[in-house]
Amino acid sequence: MKIGTYLLWAAMAVGTGIIVLLGYFVQLDQIPADGLVRNIFELRLLIMRWAVLLAAVSLGIGLYNLFLVHWTKISKQETGWKYSAVLIVTFVVTLILGLVFGPDSRAVLFLFNSIQLPVETSLSALLAITLSLAGFRLVAQRRDLISLVFVGTALLVLIGSGPGIISTESLFFGFFAGLRNWLVQVAAAGGARGILLGVALGSIVTGLRVLLAVDRPYGE
Amino acid sequence: MGGVDQIGLFILLLFVGLLVFFVTIDRRRPATFRPIRGYEALKGVIERAVEAGERVHLSLGTGSVIGTDSAPALAGLAILTSIAETTTMSDKPVVATTGDGAMAILAQDTLRRVYTEARALSRYSPISGRMLGPTPFSYVANLPILLASEDISVHVLAGSFGAEGALAADFGERQGSFVLAGTDDAQSQALLYATAEHPLIGEEIFAGGAYLNVGRVHRASLRVQDAVRMLIITGIVIGAVLSLLGVSF
Repeated sequence: MKIGTYLLWAAMAVGTGIIVLLGYFVQLDQIPADGLVRNIFELRLLIMRWAVLLAAVSLGIGLYNLFLVHWTKISKQETGWKYSAVLIVTFVVTLILGLVFGPDSRAVLFLFNSIQLPVETSLSALLAITLSLAGFRLVAQRRDLISLVFVGTALLVLIGSGPGIISTESLFFGFFAGLRNWLVQVAAAGGARGILLGVALGSIVTGLRVLLAVDRPYGE
Repeated sequence: MGGVDQIGLFILLLFVGLLVFFVTIDRRRPATFRPIRGYEALKGVIERAVEAGERVHLSLGTGSVIGTDSAPALAGLAILTSIAETTTMSDKPVVATTGDGAMAILAQDTLRRVYTEARALSRYSPISGRMLGPTPFSYVANLPILLASEDISVHVLAGSFGAEGALAADFGERQGSFVLAGTDDAQSQALLYATAEHPLIGEEIFAGGAYLNVGRVHRASLRVQDAVRMLIITGIVIGAVLSLLGVSF
């Protein structure tokens, strides 16, 4: 029974994956309109629409999971349960307001614009401070050649990026601006392409492992 | 064959063929990989965390399953398999978090499978795979509370991250945790290099399964990447030389 279920999931995942993948290699408009192949590729579009729907459903399941995690913390009075209580209250209030008045209502937009947006913007601002501190920490804790080159390059790019540190009128700015352009357009772009090439190869083999049912994150 | 991208199909079949080939020869000619500091250290710190009664946290990032950024999180699930196998019998087993509902379900399924294989399904908790927040920054905003309240001493980031990944890594550093972080985005990798103790550069995030001994297909897939990379580099060098010689295509 267990093997049967596992084979069913694997066959569904592999079959669906192959149909969707092959769709990228075949131009639909050049396939006869009434053939079996055409029907299979029409099925691909249907499967992709289902995927979008299922992703939306999974968001609901994820939110239920989020609720459950924090509800459990409150029930067991675990460390930080007060934060969980705040989350549960705001979760329920936002959900009720959204369901009763709609997601575009003034009440929901007020919550979004007055709480969520400022919090997320603050985190973005915190990122700038975090990165500055991380730069100092990098030099202090990891004193190898690559780290020093990394921090040195970041400083040069910052200096050459615009006014503020040195005047745009000065000769130095022209030098640093030229150096920055070279670093960004030649050295960094070349390195980034190399990284992207590796990432692309890694993504392909990871996808292939799922497609060949070697990796089965969808259960047994 | 009109309307068929034959080059694309050939490349796909090349990948499959090489994968089968390297799986076949894996026992006779086992692969030797260069050491990656982060993965080398990870094995030790997980064992120490289990002994000390501390928890390991794996973040699968904020990318979605149906998006183009799902590959690093799928690679992260292979790392989760390895970590879960080590921590199954621990008092505080691994917790996996994500910013996507579907990825949270995949994390739960991965954990359930590991517990089933270890004959310890009764110890499995569905909330050990969880969604922390549906947007990148709401996900990150929840991390400090998780890290502090769950006694996390090993903080692994293996998934798709934008700029928020730097904050996620930094929260772990502030907590004094061991931080291993990798993603697929080149710019985010630069941020992680600055903020994480053990950054994974380039495609190293996809090598987790091979380095943590998840299976021989993972080792073979790493060899496929290297083989195809060498083919591409050879092509680029030949193209550059021909271009210098004035030969145009």
